[in-house]
Amino acid sequence: MIEYVIMVIIVLGAIITLMQKDLLKAAVVSGITGLCVAFLYEILLAPDVALTQAIVGAAIVPAFIALAVKKTKRTDD
Amino acid sequence: MIMDVQLASLFTSGALIVIGLYAAIFLDNIIKKIIGLSFIEEGVNLFLVALGYKLGGIVPIFLPGMTKSSFYANSAYPLPQALVLTSIVIGASTLAVMLALVMVLYKKHHTLSTKAMLGEDHE
Repeated sequence: MIEYVIMVIIVLGAIITLMQKDLLKAAVVSGITGLCVAFLYEILLAPDVALTQAIVGAAIVPAFIALAVKKTKRTDD
Repeated sequence: MIMDVQLASLFTSGALIVIGLYAAIFLDNIIKKIIGLSFIEEGVNLFLVALGYKLGGIVPIFLPGMTKSSFYANSAYPLPQALVLTSIVIGASTLAVMLALVMVLYKKHHTLSTKAMLGEDHE
């Protein structure tokens, strides 16, 4: 049952990411999507892919986007 | 359940690809376009891993004590997992290159809007 909840969180997180006006909030919410994809890899019998995706999708990609937002402009207008 | 885990994962990856395509085509902010491209990449990786799933199977790691025939019959398909492992890292590095190009564009144009960069608001 929990795998269906994780799939719903993935799709809703992707939609909510693109609805944010603040780009720093968008970076953090995209990390939620990456982390839930890592959980889904664990359910789909791929634990090595899940380890890599948990590091890259939940920490490195939001950190890169946050650094780019800090160097440029924060609001989306 | 109506759908099994594999079919629901394929639908989830399709939804991620559609959301990412919408963001990359129709949104104006260039950082949101790049976030959409990363969603497309996650969707394709999820599609490839979900193709190799086997319902009720085991993780494809050969432990001592297993017989080869039962391992071949029960394990998930390990080739897409090995390739997706490389693809995730390549996706992160291409995202870093795209964001560096965005920083250069912001220094030149002082905006993140693609319409303003292309000069469509002067017409």
